[in-house]
Amino acid sequence: MERSIQKNGLVNLAVALVIFLAGFGVTVFSGSLAGQAASVFLGLSVLVAFISWFQMRLEENARVEKQEMDELAQSRGTSLFEARDAGSFPAQNARLQFEKYFVPGFTVLLLLLEAGAAWGLWRWSSQNMASLKPVNAMASLALFGIFALLLFLFGRFSVTMARLENNRLLRPGSSFLLAGAYICLLTAIGILGVATKQYPNADYWAARVLCVLLGLLAVENLLALLLEIYRPRVKGKITRPLYESRIAGLLAQPESLFTTAAQTLDYQFGFKVSETWFFQACKKSLPILFLVQLAALMLSTTVVFVDAGEQGVLEHYGKATQVLGPGPHLKLPWPADVVYRFRTDQIQSFTIGYTNDAQSEASRVVLWTVSHAKEENFLVGNRSLETGKSDNTNDMGNKPLGLISVSIPVQYQITNVKDWVYNNTTPQDFLESLATMEVVHYFAGSDLNDILSRGRLDATSILRDRIQASVDEHKLGAKIVFVGLQDIHPPTAGDVAKTYESVVGTEQGRLSQILGAEAAAIRANTLAESQAFIVTNVADAYRVRVTSAAYARAALFTNQIPAYAAAPSVYRQRLYLQNFAAATQNARKYVLLVTNTQDVIIYDLEDKVRYDMENLAITNSP
Amino acid sequence: MKKNAITLIVAALLLVIFVLLLFTYQVRQSEVVVVSTFLKPTDTITNAGLYLKWPWPVQSINRFDQRVQTFEDKFGETYLGDHNLLLMSVYVGWRISDAKAFFPKFPGGSTELAQSKLENILTSARVAVCGKHNLSDLVNSDPSQLKFDEIEKEMKSQVEADLKKSDYGITIEFLGVKRIGLPESVTQAVFTRMKAERNKYIEEAKSKGDAQAAKIKSAADRQAADLIADATAAATRIQGQGDVEAASFLGVFQQNPDLAIFNLQLEALKNSLNQKSTLIFDERLSPFSLFQNLPATSQGK
Repeated sequence: MERSIQKNGLVNLAVALVIFLAGFGVTVFSGSLAGQAASVFLGLSVLVAFISWFQMRLEENARVEKQEMDELAQSRGTSLFEARDAGSFPAQNARLQFEKYFVPGFTVLLLLLEAGAAWGLWRWSSQNMASLKPVNAMASLALFGIFALLLFLFGRFSVTMARLENNRLLRPGSSFLLAGAYICLLTAIGILGVATKQYPNADYWAARVLCVLLGLLAVENLLALLLEIYRPRVKGKITRPLYESRIAGLLAQPESLFTTAAQTLDYQFGFKVSETWFFQACKKSLPILFLVQLAALMLSTTVVFVDAGEQGVLEHYGKATQVLGPGPHLKLPWPADVVYRFRTDQIQSFTIGYTNDAQSEASRVVLWTVSHAKEENFLVGNRSLETGKSDNTNDMGNKPLGLISVSIPVQYQITNVKDWVYNNTTPQDFLESLATMEVVHYFAGSDLNDILSRGRLDATSILRDRIQASVDEHKLGAKIVFVGLQDIHPPTAGDVAKTYESVVGTEQGRLSQILGAEAAAIRANTLAESQAFIVTNVADAYRVRVTSAAYARAALFTNQIPAYAAAPSVYRQRLYLQNFAAATQNARKYVLLVTNTQDVIIYDLEDKVRYDMENLAITNSP
Repeated sequence: MKKNAITLIVAALLLVIFVLLLFTYQVRQSEVVVVSTFLKPTDTITNAGLYLKWPWPVQSINRFDQRVQTFEDKFGETYLGDHNLLLMSVYVGWRISDAKAFFPKFPGGSTELAQSKLENILTSARVAVCGKHNLSDLVNSDPSQLKFDEIEKEMKSQVEADLKKSDYGITIEFLGVKRIGLPESVTQAVFTRMKAERNKYIEEAKSKGDAQAAKIKSAADRQAADLIADATAAATRIQGQGDVEAASFLGVFQQNPDLAIFNLQLEALKNSLNQKSTLIFDERLSPFSLFQNLPATSQGK
């Protein structure tokens, strides 16, 4: 019988391998996301089936070895073989080593594969929602249907065999095989949804479910590894294979939910938890509990609470019948009535142009010359760039173009929720695009310098009116609350904004220059005034001096006349000698006393160099 | 027995749900549904509500969004009538107006494929229409010269005409120029031009400053010169006045002209010898004439 079980294990392995390869091929052919997840699961089935088959072989070898040793002991007597050392049972040792080291190692590997596949497939599926080629859908559907059928037949047979023979090692592979049948069926349903075009995302959602399942398998393996450490070791109790998945077993035999749960609890706690009254009561009431849950779930869909600031659109069999305000509302259960809620009172906003990056938001200073984000330039008219009149329309010189960077926050409210929902597929995107168009059109017809200065305030009201008119024209059901020119400046790129700043700086420089000149003028005038004052005063002093001197001289002369009249020659000589002495006081005088000689007298009248100048000491001091 | 009854109820419930799923379908207000019988489109449902159908594969349901769908074409270079280049993108709102006609045109009724085809038509119309217009129709500091409305109408007419030819089942609800821009090289040139315009103001301010400063300084210099000139004139006048006043005393000297002249000569002598000078006298000049009759000594003259 053991041989038969081994054969079953080998068949399981072969079936899993063949269907894994076929399933992988079909997935590559169709591009099905669920198929990819199913292929991963089938690949794991191959690994589990192989390991369980290998373990069966080891157990079988150990069993045969033990049988042979027992027979040998009986035929030769026990004394010779009483002392049995480890080397006497190589097959048993191999099995024990395998269970001790390889099985936990394989379980860890399985855990990593499951977790990695769940994470990778989840990301991949979110990026490739519609990778299934509808053209190949029908063929893929048929093939996955066949895989499901084959796996179900082989899996069911194998599971029954495992239960009948109570073979713990056949169970893991069988469970994976049977669970693989249901997974292939789920994949086929996902593909069917796409093939019939009724549920174009069915493949994606099936893949998501399988990703979750792979994640659960990983968590289960992790828990199994952790709980294995604390499990009470009862002597003689046969251990379960660590890699056996109870979730896969449950998937394979959902009807055995309680049996699986009971076995798990019994195995973990080491006593019969499944025989307690609580467990039995839960088992008996399960259908009722299910019905109650279902009823509660349906009832919960008959009441809807609309939050303050929200409005709900009630669809009765898809037809929008009513707009619900804040508060509780009764409705028919899902799917007859469905309510879609929208935040209508909330002021929502978006920004046209650039949005400041986090660094700029944190900064307390905003400068034109420092880029706030990746700026978007808008084309704008620019009269000041016109370089002259030309009749040639192709002359680029007369195209008054300019570029401008803006950040325009637009705030809006939803006023008519039905229009908002049912007139456009993407109303917010539509509103943003309408606003952008109006801004582009407005700037294209504006003057750069005007919009930067005087026209700024008008621009906001004009833009708000224009955007509102456009929104009304397209029946968007929104009200434009605010449009602001938060930031508007010449482009930072190419140092254009810097040049604008330089103009202001130069203007300040001009004013400084004028003030400097005015200061110099004041100084010059003041100096001139003082100089004029001096000149006038000097002249005045001259006048006084000359007049006084003339007066004094006249007075002196008047007094001299009597003296002169009294002794003309004496007075004259006296005056002469007095003045001569005074006049020649500082003059160098040579008196030649010999007059009638023939001698030639030479006077050296050259000035002598001063003695101290000749002996001037030269130093190196600076 | 009780357990079986509950199981039966659950099973019946699930069966009812399954049958309802197979035989009914809902049409949302935002949708239009094309019902295909044995893959052939047989009916179009535009009104929202609950409808009956035969289960797949007899009848299948194809759902389409009947709301306005929007997309923006690529921000592409467009050659204008005045040989200028402009980057432009056009925003389009379109709607599936005839789902039955739309459905077979695009595999699976894919709106992505429809938008791809529509984009081709739109780009073609954009290029054709813009070729007839000048840059000044799209950017002009005089808003009355702009022709956005005209250009957009022309584009819409062109696209509608192209769609009508093949009956795509699509209606263009609106079309508008969403973005305009300049190619990178032209953008750099505009930057340079904008900077040149600002540099013009910089130079103007600088030269105005120089000129005004020079004017102020010149005016000040002139004013100073005027002041000094006035002062000098006044000073000359005052000096002259002094001279006149001094001359009024000259009559006194006429009482004895010899003495007056002698006084003047003495004054001139004093003034002329005021500087450093060397004088060589002989004994005949007074007072050195005193040396002539000195008694002789044994040691010298």
